Amino acid sequence: MTAARPLRQPASRQGLRVLRGRQAKLRPALAPWMIMVLIGVAAFLGLGFARTSLDKSAFELDRLNRAITEQEAMNEQLRLEIARMENPARIAPLAEELGLVIPQDTRQLLVDLGGPALVSNDEGARQ
Amino acid sequence: MAATKAAAKPDRSRVRVAAIGLGLVLALLGLGFRLFQVQVVQAEELAGQGLDQRLVTRDLAPQRGKIYDRNGELLAMTVEAQSIWANPDQVEEPLWVAQQIGGLLGVDSQELLTRLESDRDFVYLKRQVEPGVAEEILGLGVRGIYTHPEATRIYPAGSVAAHVTGFVDIDGNGQEGLEYIYDESLRGVPGKAVFERDLEGRIIPQGMTDIMPAVPGADLNTTIDLPLQYQTQQACLSALERTSAESCWVVVLDVETGGILAMSGAPVFDPQMRQTLDANCDPAEDPTCHAFKNFIVRGVYEPGSTQKLITVAAALEEGEVKTGTVFSQVADILELRPDACRSADDELFGCYQDFEEHETANMTVAEIFTRSSNVGTILIADTLGQDRLVSYIERFGLGSQTGVDYSVEAPGMLNFEAGCETCWASAAIGYSVAATPLQMAAAYAAIGNDGVWTAPHIVASTTDVDGNEEVAGLETRKVVSEETAVLMQQLLANVVDEGTGQAATVEGYRVGGKTGTANKLGEDGRYTEVTRASFVGMAPMSDPKVVVAVLIDAPSYRYRTGGAAAAPVFAQVMEQALHRLGVSPDAPVG
Repeated sequence: MTAARPLRQPASRQGLRVLRGRQAKLRPALAPWMIMVLIGVAAFLGLGFARTSLDKSAFELDRLNRAITEQEAMNEQLRLEIARMENPARIAPLAEELGLVIPQDTRQLLVDLGGPALVSNDEGARQ
Repeated sequence: MAATKAAAKPDRSRVRVAAIGLGLVLALLGLGFRLFQVQVVQAEELAGQGLDQRLVTRDLAPQRGKIYDRNGELLAMTVEAQSIWANPDQVEEPLWVAQQIGGLLGVDSQELLTRLESDRDFVYLKRQVEPGVAEEILGLGVRGIYTHPEATRIYPAGSVAAHVTGFVDIDGNGQEGLEYIYDESLRGVPGKAVFERDLEGRIIPQGMTDIMPAVPGADLNTTIDLPLQYQTQQACLSALERTSAESCWVVVLDVETGGILAMSGAPVFDPQMRQTLDANCDPAEDPTCHAFKNFIVRGVYEPGSTQKLITVAAALEEGEVKTGTVFSQVADILELRPDACRSADDELFGCYQDFEEHETANMTVAEIFTRSSNVGTILIADTLGQDRLVSYIERFGLGSQTGVDYSVEAPGMLNFEAGCETCWASAAIGYSVAATPLQMAAAYAAIGNDGVWTAPHIVASTTDVDGNEEVAGLETRKVVSEETAVLMQQLLANVVDEGTGQAATVEGYRVGGKTGTANKLGEDGRYTEVTRASFVGMAPMSDPKVVVAVLIDAPSYRYRTGGAAAAPVFAQVMEQALHRLGVSPDAPVG
């Protein structure tokens, strides 16, 4: 039979101290940073895109303005062409070639209550 | 000793390091200073300089206004053309290029070669050619040949309306006619464009842009009727052929408004051929030149018997005579000075004769006018006296500009030299007075308009770019009473019915008018056998709407009178004018 032995006291050593258990080091939260970076990149790309679109629309506007000017010039050319075609000096000889002549015998019709009659009365001709 | 050397070594390297450090610090300080100077002190000035290098200012040429006839037909307009130019330094085979391009441009190859061999770096080969021609030339792929756009003035009616529109020079400045007198209105206001461009000259999008647009010129809406203008010109050309005259001039007036419906003449000119136009041109001497006279507004002549309208109207208005007043023993010759008709200078010194010999007879005022008696008219004028006669001549607008909107109008003149005892008699029958055909037309229009003279005009209104229309005001004045005007209308109708103007008859209409035959002064100051034949008249006499004045200069002897040369032209033009205006006939049937 053995006698119960007292519990052994831990021997205290000089220079040693108790350290608290090292807590798990907290990692910095990446997600917000990532989001911010993504937002930043997206904003940068968006800005670039907006700028490009704006420039593109300026080029488009310039192209459209030029097209309008060209169409206006063409319209003027067509008006000129019409005016040239309507020039009596061009039409009269053509009409003559086709055998058209200015009528020599002109008469005015008087529309009376009784029916038409040949007159040269001013008053009647207006009716 | 060795230890001392070892200790000195680190010291020297420290010095070097310190020196380099100092140098770096100084350099950085210098850079910083310069940066401060550039970015802060000179920032504004340098930014301005940069902007100046990128900024370009261009003048924006305004579109020149158009000219329309009364029906909206174009008489003049501006379109874009191409001007061909060359840099002679870059042209490799000038002779070949001149031959190739000369044919396409219609320019003499030798002339082109001279330009292509010049030592300049910019020469025009031809300005303002049609875009198709420019494309053909560029299509040749010749090095050193370029084009640039340039506005050009076009007259679609060609020579038909040339006497109305006038023309511009190569740079678009009005030189003649409406183009000249309305140059400021037609021209518009130039604009300005300021913009940034890159190194290659392209406009920088989103760059600075400041555009002040050009304001186009106003459009002119004239009173001219283009088809009538054409028919008038054709009538004149036919008359030249028939009478072998030097020139023919016709003006058609709207009696009520004074609007000029047609104003034409022959010889004609093409306003597009501005390079060869010359006011002093004589085509007989130089067939390549074109004359551009407008005698209707600018030429003066002694109107001869057409002037008798004013003399008789004045005497009637003053109550000195009535149409039935009889002048007894009217001969066909009158001496205002003893033995004047025996002098060689009889016409200048008081000897007056009727155009045709006739027996001495009693004549009424109506007969004197119908038979165009010079002697009888002088007797009528004698009842007025010189002062009153001159007053009426002036009242009818002779001797002063009518105010028509055409370039450089001639005022005409009343030649009453001091001490001239017979000038009043000459003036009574249309000598000693110089008038323009337009002045005579306006005087007759006053009779047709019941005694109210209206200033003739060509432009009825102007329309600006915003569509605002400004209507030209009418200038009118009463010259004789309505009663006198109606009496004169009856006398004019008599001239055509049974007098000297029977060739002026228009079928279906009652026409009135007066013939005129005036001898031309020769270079020696004496009257010659060469005449100016004229006819001025109106229709329909029931309510005159149109006045036509015809002047034929130097017709052949057979056609030397107004009745033979001018009256048929009048009839032709008047008939067309009445039809164009839709005027109902007023002559009795049968």
